[in-house]
Amino acid sequence: MHEFSISSEIAKTVLDTAEENKGIRVLSILLEIGEMTLLSVEQVKFWVQELLKGSIAEGAEINIKTIRVRIQCEFCQHQGRPFFDQQEGVGHLGPYCCPKCKSFQVKVKKGGGCTLRQIRMVR
Amino acid sequence: MKVVKPKGPEIFDIELEKDLLAKNRNLAKENRKRFDHLKITAIDVMGSIGSGKTSLIKALLKKLNMGESVGVIAGDLTTTIDAERIREEGARVIQINTGKECHLDAHLVGQAIERMSLSGIDILFIENVGNLICPGEFPLGAHKRIVVTSTTEGPYTLIKHPYIFRQADVIVLNKIDLAKAMKLNPSQLEKDSRKINPQAPFIRTNAIKGTGIPEILRSLKFKT
Ligand SMILES: Nc1nc2c(ncn2[C@@H]2O[C@H](COP(=O)(O)OP(=O)(O)OP(=O)(O)O)[C@@H](O)[C@H]2O)c(=O)[nH]1
Ligand SMILES: [Mg+2]
Ligand SMILES: [Zn+2]
Repeated sequence: MHEFSISSEIAKTVLDTAEENKGIRVLSILLEIGEMTLLSVEQVKFWVQELLKGSIAEGAEINIKTIRVRIQCEFCQHQGRPFFDQQEGVGHLGPYCCPKCKSFQVKVKKGGGCTLRQIRMVR
Repeated sequence: MKVVKPKGPEIFDIELEKDLLAKNRNLAKENRKRFDHLKITAIDVMGSIGSGKTSLIKALLKKLNMGESVGVIAGDLTTTIDAERIREEGARVIQINTGKECHLDAHLVGQAIERMSLSGIDILFIENVGNLICPGEFPLGAHKRIVVTSTTEGPYTLIKHPYIFRQADVIVLNKIDLAKAMKLNPSQLEKDSRKINPQAPFIRTNAIKGTGIPEILRSLKFKT
């Protein structure tokens, strides 16, 4: 649901960066989206494409890499994938805990962000 | 930012590490500085649609009985209904219409506090847009976050939306008067709450009668 606002931020950043670097045409961009952001990759792709229409980045290839969540347990310090303590199918939306000691006091180390990594352009 | 090897005569790759959520986080920090400077305690009230956020803010205002020294920012998609309801309690209210955005963000709140006269305000409640998903991703700079759910939303709300409840300083289960009619066991929700966020107090309320309101104020460390 917050895809629209993030996509606006992405589109603006792409165009500002391209301009700053004297780009005349953007060919592709690479985004990294963490699972924990609850962003729908398909929707982000759609909105970014839509928002770039009519600009020097219209039609640019939107590549998105999903970053899996990694946590650190604040209790036993274990690092790794979280353990999902629920019925199957709820995925990373479900409550998660440390796979070792089952503590829910865990910190997200990776997979919590949304980062613009690369812009390929012609100048 | 780094410009790397041309892939052809005029093709360049700009390598960067632009965190797209950082802008909101930074604006939230600015809001927080502003609040601290003015000695205002700001409370972000998040929760599902119709869970009773406005009713709860009204009840908190009534109990606080501080008139114009409490401010409220009412976030809503398009209407001013909630702002009008809150004004009845004598608080200073400003409305933010988010249009089609499903959450408030730090920028909108920053604009609101520019427009609003904040002098003499000690406490500021910010009613977020009814939504259990997006507001969690957009801190506003508030000192405390309350997440409100209600008995009429069924028994799985916390388990389905742990992300937002994990960020709460206070978790409220409202409409406790309707639990029985909904065949809902509040203790089960409390158990989920303990599991997901052991630090946050879980408070049962009836916003219409005022049940649980003193507990909320106490957990926010406000004198009553
Ligand atoms: N029975 C009962 N009804 C309540 C309680 N709290 C709120 N309500 C009713 O629930 C409805 C929604 O309350 P609001 O306070 O508008 O809820 P909200 O979360 O602000 O709603 P939105 O801003 O539209 O998302 C109203 O009809 C309230 O009268 C409660 O504790 N018990
Ligand atoms: Mg409301
Ligand atoms: Zn552990």
